Parts: sequence; C-alpha cells; structure tokens
Amino acid sequence: MTIPVQPTQGSAQLPRPARWFLLAPLAVWLVAFVVAPALILLVYSFSERDELGRVVFTFTLENYARAFDPVYLSVFGRSLGYAAATTAICAVLAYPVAWCMAQARPPWRDRLLLLVMIPFWTSFLIRTYAWITILKSEGLLNGLLLYTHTIAAPLELLYTPGAVVLGLVYAYLPFMILPIYGSAEKLDPALIEAAHDLGCGPWQSFARVVLPLTRPGLAAGVMMVFVPAIGMFAISDLMGGARVPLIGNVIQDQFVGQARDKPFGAALAVIFMLIFVTVYWLWQRRAEARVA
Amino acid sequence: MKSLRLLCALLLVAVSAARAAEALNLFAWSEYVPQKVIDGFTKETGIKVSYATYATGEEMLAKLLAGGAAYDLIQPPDYIAEAMIRNKLLRPLDRAKLPNLRHLAPEFLALPHDPASAYTVPWMLGTVGIVVNTERVKDPIRGYRDLFQPKFKNRIVVVNDNREIVSWALVTLGLNQNAITRENLAKARPLIAEWIKLVKVFDSDSPTTPLLNGDVDLGVVWSGEAAKLINENKKFAYVLPAEGYHPYVDLMAIPTTAKNVAAAHRFLDYVLRPEVSKLISDEFPYTNPNLAARKLLTPAQLANPASYPPMGKLDTFRDIGKAAADIDKLMTDLKTAAAK
Repeated sequence: MTIPVQPTQGSAQLPRPARWFLLAPLAVWLVAFVVAPALILLVYSFSERDELGRVVFTFTLENYARAFDPVYLSVFGRSLGYAAATTAICAVLAYPVAWCMAQARPPWRDRLLLLVMIPFWTSFLIRTYAWITILKSEGLLNGLLLYTHTIAAPLELLYTPGAVVLGLVYAYLPFMILPIYGSAEKLDPALIEAAHDLGCGPWQSFARVVLPLTRPGLAAGVMMVFVPAIGMFAISDLMGGARVPLIGNVIQDQFVGQARDKPFGAALAVIFMLIFVTVYWLWQRRAEARVA
Repeated sequence: MKSLRLLCALLLVAVSAARAAEALNLFAWSEYVPQKVIDGFTKETGIKVSYATYATGEEMLAKLLAGGAAYDLIQPPDYIAEAMIRNKLLRPLDRAKLPNLRHLAPEFLALPHDPASAYTVPWMLGTVGIVVNTERVKDPIRGYRDLFQPKFKNRIVVVNDNREIVSWALVTLGLNQNAITRENLAKARPLIAEWIKLVKVFDSDSPTTPLLNGDVDLGVVWSGEAAKLINENKKFAYVLPAEGYHPYVDLMAIPTTAKNVAAAHRFLDYVLRPEVSKLISDEFPYTNPNLAARKLLTPAQLANPASYPPMGKLDTFRDIGKAAADIDKLMTDLKTAAAK
C-alpha cells in the first residue's frame, strides 16, 4: 500500500520532515497504546504465574495448549455466533436507515445524523441499565403489554440470550449506520436513473448498482460491529445475567477475576488478535484481487 | 507591582498547600466506605483522602501488585489477606497507635488468615445466605437442597462468584469448603451442573436487583445486600443454609508499599471509634465487629436477621492459590453446557 510520491506537485506537497511531524502524534499513540500492550500480552502469553497471579517470565506453551481445550473452544464458538447474529441484524436494520438518511434533503440529513449520534451523549452503562428497566418482569414493556391485554402473564425477556443480542444490536447499530451512510451519500443518483433507463427494475438496480457501490461502507460497518461485539463482556453480564460466558468474560476473569491467571488470559487474547489479523488480511487480499 | 504581589501570594498558597498535603490513598471495595466517614476524617485531621475502588479482591491484588499507585490502606477479603501476609505484602500494624482496637469483639480477631492479628483489622463481616420472597415462595427453604429444586428453575439469583458456588456444593456433599482438590471438584461437578441449570441470574455487584425487580424469587447473596432488602420490604426472609455456611471478613491492612503509614494508622483508629463505626453500619448493614458501635445501633438494626444472624464457628475461606484456575475452568465449562 505505498502511495507514489509525485515531486511535480510542488507546493501542494509538504516537505518530508513536516509530514513526519504531523504523523507523529498518531504514531506515538499507536505505539504506546496498541503495539506496546500487544507485545506485553505476547510475552505474558508464554509465561507462568505464581500463587498470587504475578507473572513469572519463563517460556511455556501450556497456555496455548489450554486455550484449545474444548471448554474454551465452545465458548469461542458461542461468542462468534452472538457477534455474527448481532452483525447480521445490525446490517439489515441499518441499511434502510442509512439509505433514507442519504436520500433526505440536506437540512434533514444533518438532523437525522444528529439523532443517530445523540445516544453517545449518555454513558453506555446507563443506557444498558435503561434496557433492564424496560425488559424486567415488572418492567415498562411487560406493563404495557399486560395493560393492553396483549399477553396474560409477563414475558421472560431479561436475562435471556435474546436480551444479550438485543443489547449488542442496540449498542453497535450506529457503528453500522454511519459508514453505510457515508457510502450511500456519495452515490450519484444519476447512476440509479441510468440503471432504470437501461431497463433495471427496483430490485435489479439495487442488487447490481446500489449494493456494489455501497459495499465499502457495508464492509467497514461489519468490521466496526463484529470486532467489538465479539469481545464485549458487560452486556452478557448485565442483560444476560452472566449465564452464558462469552470469550470477553473468560478473558476478563483471568485478569481481574478469581482465576488469577494473566498468562492464560493473554494467550486467549493473542489467539483472538491473530484470528482477526488473518481474516482481515485475507479479506484485503481478496479485495485487491477484485480491483486488479 | 500588583502582579508581583499576586505572584507572591500564589507562591505562599502553593507552599502552604504542599505542607498541608498529608494524604491518604485508600483502596477499598466500591459501596463500602461512607462518604460521611471520609469527610469527617478529613475535617478532623486535615488529611486528604483519595478513594479508589475495586469490585473483586483479585482485582485489588492485581492492581496493587502492578505497582504504580502506592496505596496506603486496603480492604482485602480474608483469604487474600492470608496470601498477602505469606508473601510479605502487608506491613505489621503499630497497635500502640490503635487504642480503639479494644472495641472489637475478640471472636473476630486472630482468625486463621492472620492468627496473631498482627497485620489486619476487621472492617465488616458477612455471611452468604439464602433470601426468600415469602409472598411468592410458600415452601419452607432451609438450605441449598430446598433451594435448588427443579420447580424453582429460572426463579433464582446467585452471586457471580465461582468459588462461592463451588463451596456451597462442597458443604452440601459434606466436604470441607476449603479442600479444593481436583478429586473434590469432580465429586461436586454433577451437583453444580444441576444447580446452574436452575439459576436465572448470576450477579455479584447487585444481586438483590432482580429480587427487587420481581425477576426472581429466591437468591443466594451477601448478607449485607440481604439486610438492605429486608429493610426495604419485610416480605424477604434470610436463611443461613442448613448444610453449612461460611462467614467472610473484610479487613483493613497497610501494604508494605504504603507511603503514608502514619495517616493510615490514624484512619484505622478513626473508623474504629464507635460513633464512626455506627455510620458505616447505618449505610452498609453487614455484621459490625465493633461491640461499642453495636450499642449505638437501633433495636431494629440489631434485629435484622441478615445483619446479625446467630454465628457459630467462624469457618472462613482460606487461600487456595493456583487451584482457583481449576474452579474457573469447571464453572466456565458447566455454564457453557447449561446454556445449550
């Protein structure tokens, strides 16, 4: 991914030291908060621990061997399932919303965009507690349904797998809407008109023109929802009643929970990162192959 | 000229602030030290208290061992204090500076975690017991076997604490709660597997919330939480399990890395004063080991069955070291299996 430097551009091009200077904050941030912690995790993952949970630096593969125990593989599989369901639901819900926002007239567009952002003004945990108030047995939703005689007895809504997925979808929906909106907004309406002129029906023009052109936004949205959703642990604790351990819960328990086993938690986290890097790399290669 | 005078004044303020900046870094459980107590201490001594919190004893230990912040006073649970004393992470207390120690009931001192009471002072005690919503559950609930019945499926909350859950199974099987061996875990496994299927919520931070919300009718929770629940509504009852139960002691201790040792002793002695200790009981109705403070409580406070249950032998948790990882794996496995 090198961008060819064209010296003929002259004044528009910043001198090299200045470019480095402008990039420095980002580079420092990445090294201090991404590269260094990842390296620490890597070192931890090959270490042992003492009875207090202090890391003892040796070289062992035992943590990795334990990570492939069926217990943890099934936790991992379940986490993948929850994250995949969350991503799929987010995509289906977000696409029409993002599309309508992109089609709206500019003053409305900005207002709608603001509405998508407003939830971020409140703490994520407070919003999750609000869901508990809505979903609990004697909560707002059951109250409404009982009042309108839609149901005879309160539904079991909270502390179920469905509640976990709902919480995840709620938390990550904006991360799907915004990138799709970014793609949809740039789409030239003339292209859709051209598709209609050339005999495409609404479905065909969507599948053959709109979807391919908004794919980069959709792909970015999928990444931005799937990756954090798979590591989330607070929602499964609060809305799922901590009945189903997800991989984020297991890792958290190794570091600050009772397990007192940082090296094992680090090994799980490293495996996790490797999977993402590999998937991302394969995806990029496919995308490049398609362009070429 | 005016600005020079202002500068001098500012400097003076800075210097005097630095001199008065005797500080205390308190590292304690969330929801355990009333703000009133901290404010009262600062008002009397001028020592500024910074209060950082944690949610599990293990989190406290991990953060303390990571270094960085030098905590002056911590609140370890009994079994963690035991491991810390063994690893020389706690500083012996200067008992001459703690005259108010005399108010503590002797039965809460010199427990196995600190046999000579040289390093720790009990803050509050609790038990883990069963809460019953007597309006919804009419059966007599005397212990774990009465509680974990198929007919109560999805009506139970328990603390999200793997070691606790394992200890309940061990005492139900007549085994020692501290004997965490692979053999004993294998024996307890089928029982725990059955129990977990019946539980609707695992929550250590606020286990009484689903009881209050009406999502569940039964719970195994910390006694202080149960006491608050009973204060709120008399329909809740607290039962110490017939199979056996264990008390836990939350302690105060000074880590060897503490910088403000004198301030830590002053705070310790301050919270041992009966009238201060009473304030803690008012807000957090656990079992107060301070006998003089108990005399200041109302009859209603003392009659709360969760705060002051009849306690027999104080058989507390002991440090189990690396066996904690075996418990973690067992519980992860069983919870995953139960969710299928």
